Amino acid sequence: MAGLIVGGFILSALWPETIMNQSTRTPIYLAVAGWLVGFGTVMGSGCTSGHGVCGLSRLSIRSIVATLSFMIMGIVIVAAMRKLGVF
Amino acid sequence: MIHLASYFVVGILFALGLGLGGMTDPHRVQGFLDIFGDWDPSLAFVMIGAVCFHVVTYRFIRKRATPMISAHWHIPERKDLNAKLIGGSLIFGAGWGLAGYCPGPALTSLASLDTNVYIFVGCMILGMLSFGFVETVIRKSKSYN
Repeated sequence: MAGLIVGGFILSALWPETIMNQSTRTPIYLAVAGWLVGFGTVMGSGCTSGHGVCGLSRLSIRSIVATLSFMIMGIVIVAAMRKLGVF
Repeated sequence: MIHLASYFVVGILFALGLGLGGMTDPHRVQGFLDIFGDWDPSLAFVMIGAVCFHVVTYRFIRKRATPMISAHWHIPERKDLNAKLIGGSLIFGAGWGLAGYCPGPALTSLASLDTNVYIFVGCMILGMLSFGFVETVIRKSKSYN
């Protein structure tokens, strides 16, 4: 985790454009999304990297199901946001 | 010590890959999920690339009897599908779609010094802790896997 954070600072020094384009949403909105991401990651035992990259490469059935679940949900949420005009 | 050093180096490498791949840009992540709107498929290549690379290297790596810096493997062995896995993934997907951040890129993005990223990461940690709390409550009330 410290490596990820330090890596972020290296990115911001060498390729600032990769890290400067952050979300423009309201803080409350990001707080809710952050809470869901944290809760879901622990409950589902993994995230995009754990299930999506490591798990898929191992052909783990749990990870394939998890990756499909979060991809579909992400797509549905973005489609719903578009429908509601908040995207 | 060698463990900590390797975690650190791997973390830096991962952060660089996420950043250069575009995963630290929440607009692009949401664009990737926006398949019914203005779809930006570019991030699929980050994932496909990472999986292809790891599929090949993983097979070579597992030919070793043990990892280079550990006495035994730490590989998830479970195969059962349950509501916890799917429900957790759906909740994660909802947050990911709403904000465009998943945990790795969110931590990497702390370097942007953007207040929003700090709010997201703070609440993500709260979310992680609250699952532990909810699980304890549920476990007390019934047997639960």
